Amino acid sequence: MKEIRFENVWKSYGKTHVVKGLNLTIHPGERLVLLGPSGCGKSTTLRMIAGLEEITSGDLYLNGVKANDIPSGKRNVAMVFQNYALYPHMNVVENITYGLKVQKVHKDEIQKRLNAVLEMLQLKGYENRLPKDLSGGQRQRVALARAVVKKSDFFLLDEPLSNLDAQLRVSARKELVKIHEMYKQTIVYVTHDQIEAMTIGDRIALMNQGQLQMVDTPENVYNRPANIFTAKFIGSPPTNIVDMDYYDGKVMIGKQSFLLHPMWIRQINECNAKTFVFGIRPEHLEIYKTPQENTLKGTVKYVENQGSSYSIYINLEGHEVIAMSEKKNWHPGEMVYLKPKMDRIHIFDQESTQSIGYPQELDLNESSPMNHKINVETYLS
Amino acid sequence: MSDGTVFKNKESWKAYCLLIPTLIIFSIFMFWPFLYTIYLSFFDWNMITPTKEFVGLKNYIDVLSDRNTYKILGNTFIYIAFLLVINCIIPYLFAFVLDLILKRFNGFYKSALFLPAFISLVVGSILFTWILNPVSGPVAIILGWFGIEMPIWSKLDGWVILVLSLITSWKVFGYNFIVLYASINGISREIIEAARLDNVPLWKIFFHIVLPMSSATGIYVFIITIVQGLQYVFTPIKVITQGGPNYASSNAIYHAYHEAFVLYRTGHSAALSIMTMLIFFILLALEFKFVERGIYYEN
Amino acid sequence: MKIKRSVAIPWHIIFIITIIILLYPIVFALGSSFKTLEDAYNNVLNIVPLNPTFENYITFFNSLPAFKITMNTFIIASVATIFKLITSFLAAYAFVFLQFKGKNILYFMLISTIFIPFTVTMIPNYLIISGIGLVNSVWGVILPQLANALGIFLMRQSMKTIPISLIEAAKLDHIGHARIMKDIVLPLVRPAVTSTGIWFFITTWNEYVWPVLILKSKENYTLPLALQMYISSEGGTNFTVAMAVSVITMIIPLTLYLIFQKYIIGTFTSSGIK
Repeated sequence: MKEIRFENVWKSYGKTHVVKGLNLTIHPGERLVLLGPSGCGKSTTLRMIAGLEEITSGDLYLNGVKANDIPSGKRNVAMVFQNYALYPHMNVVENITYGLKVQKVHKDEIQKRLNAVLEMLQLKGYENRLPKDLSGGQRQRVALARAVVKKSDFFLLDEPLSNLDAQLRVSARKELVKIHEMYKQTIVYVTHDQIEAMTIGDRIALMNQGQLQMVDTPENVYNRPANIFTAKFIGSPPTNIVDMDYYDGKVMIGKQSFLLHPMWIRQINECNAKTFVFGIRPEHLEIYKTPQENTLKGTVKYVENQGSSYSIYINLEGHEVIAMSEKKNWHPGEMVYLKPKMDRIHIFDQESTQSIGYPQELDLNESSPMNHKINVETYLS
Repeated sequence: MSDGTVFKNKESWKAYCLLIPTLIIFSIFMFWPFLYTIYLSFFDWNMITPTKEFVGLKNYIDVLSDRNTYKILGNTFIYIAFLLVINCIIPYLFAFVLDLILKRFNGFYKSALFLPAFISLVVGSILFTWILNPVSGPVAIILGWFGIEMPIWSKLDGWVILVLSLITSWKVFGYNFIVLYASINGISREIIEAARLDNVPLWKIFFHIVLPMSSATGIYVFIITIVQGLQYVFTPIKVITQGGPNYASSNAIYHAYHEAFVLYRTGHSAALSIMTMLIFFILLALEFKFVERGIYYEN
Repeated sequence: MKIKRSVAIPWHIIFIITIIILLYPIVFALGSSFKTLEDAYNNVLNIVPLNPTFENYITFFNSLPAFKITMNTFIIASVATIFKLITSFLAAYAFVFLQFKGKNILYFMLISTIFIPFTVTMIPNYLIISGIGLVNSVWGVILPQLANALGIFLMRQSMKTIPISLIEAAKLDHIGHARIMKDIVLPLVRPAVTSTGIWFFITTWNEYVWPVLILKSKENYTLPLALQMYISSEGGTNFTVAMAVSVITMIIPLTLYLIFQKYIIGTFTSSGIK
């Protein structure tokens, strides 16, 4: 069944709580990415699955069996460590097969798996090299190979690509997805890199300060962030977050206002509040030189070259907001007019920081997930 | 995020199993003798009679009221002073120079300076007894060329301590040097190079950067020089002078041995050992206090 | 970083002079041990013997059970070394890779024994050894010397450099402690084990204080004890023989040092303190 389930799991060191009441079910055969800033508890969560960290309270179920007290070696997990944890004194083949040999797996079987994995990860010809004589990418593949040959139900990866350069990362991500499609293990992948999360994950579990913020598909995490943290963490530059008042169908930001689309008015009327937090991604904030219908006025502070586009930093009623433009002709001090795309705005409750939800009518055009992934990646890079 | 150890409390018993041989050995030959010496320090005994007489603090009072004790304590501090200069200050300087100034023959210097640490102090004592023979030794002959007469050091107060300290230093120097060198070598090159770019003179680099940044090791070497040095001196004392002339070369360690195995006064010996150890532990406590007070810590 | 030659050269000279002073006694002993007594007395400053002779070595082997003495020294040093290496390795492994109650306090207790002067334990240890009838025996010399925390310290320092993830990876493969020690930890700390072993061997080989209390008869002596017999005559007729015995006593430690100096210096420089 290959399912992993956390039920109200806490991990504490004395009075420091690293994981706070985690409830999470990882479905059989999916690729779940644990994403979050450093120190958010994602690695600890992974290590609890592996049995390398004890669970302070709550229950962990693997394959439906309570696993709190099962020793690591009997959990049927394979893990790729951030530093790869290759045995420096063993060559590639010894590294890959050491565990199997100790487990007394039959010789022919070891050879079969070894050949398959060497082939798949392009390690043929490097069999007798020591880790120190391999490149970073090759080491990473050996670490992957060592985990793959175990044929475990659960495949855990702790920031496995963080020591690789950008180009290698792209190919390594593809490799990983390829492996998963062959073996269909349940993958739990820890990273702080949102691009990795977006490209690898079937679902993303975003954590912050020991708490789960949102678990959903990459599309939803990007398009429908459940709370302010998610909105700000995902996307680069981060989502603009501004306090707002709601009055009579209008969003008031400082002294300015713009009209909300009726679908949003219906949504916002379900809440009994007057003040909210307004969010809009830079790429969804249109910027004009001349006044338009339903726009907000701001002053350009400075312009940052992002390569394919420019980030325009704007002072809007004392808040700094960012808009994206493909043109360069924006100058500090210049007055500009901003128009949020009505179907891409986010409204959050001020107190709970949770999203007030999204109008039912809002069915995003990019319904094909494959298309959307590519879009996201270009936005984020 | 890990607490540094992989295996959990449930496996404690495995850890204890691994420690059992060590614990047995240490219990029998270290911890129990330690306690028994404290016990003996309250008894009058000569190691032979079947009964020991409880005398309370009398041994301590005897030791503290013996004039020889003060002579020996004085000697002990003179030994400490000599040993610290030769084996703490000089190696510190040498380590600094080797690391920062000398670029060539680096490896050779290190191995040559460390080499005598591997030779028995009995050998050292015998060799130096002859080399420093005030009449016919090579040093006496060379000094004779300049009309300098060598003192008969083994018979002269003060001189005898200096020479025995030198012999001991011959062995101790290299180890201290290597440890200090490692510490200085571990200081980030960027810091030192930044100072060099600012034209900071070498002596300032030593006092303002190297000394504070290697001070944890420095204090360790300081302590080890006193604690181990005094024990190392035992061998040349025993081999060359037996504490003489008239206790002029004896120190606290040698005297405790002398009381126990020459005079057979276990009580006095035990009392003296315990007092010596207390002095050592006061030094150690000072070390921990200093180190915790934020003296710069390597790593 | 540029250092002026005018600064470096005087220091080179100081280093070379220091090294000459430190190494002169060794050369002196080597030269004198091949001299005739007459040559030694008349040509003190001459390092090279006029008529090289093995006479002094032969005298030593004739006057004392020299072979037995050398073997004793070797056996004591080897047994103590092997035993200390094994116990220190196991203890260091527990301190580095296992979690248990009282770990820190126990480690502190063991390490602080490095600072206990030997006089504190010498009387009870003598009583124990004589109580079990081991006075004047090899085991009487070996046993109390096994209580030495330096090995635990050095090996712990070395094991701490092993990334913990290596052990975790093994643990995920359900590999037990014995195999982790043998297949992973030992190969990775081999340099430290080697140099600690050599250090143990040499210090036990050179040990004088404890054997002098325990060993009573000449045929049970170790080399430093045999050597010490030649001092009483204060450079008398046995002087050149004493030099020969010194050379025999030095030769094994120096050979080991010269062969393994890279390891040894590496271990002592990388271990640092704490």
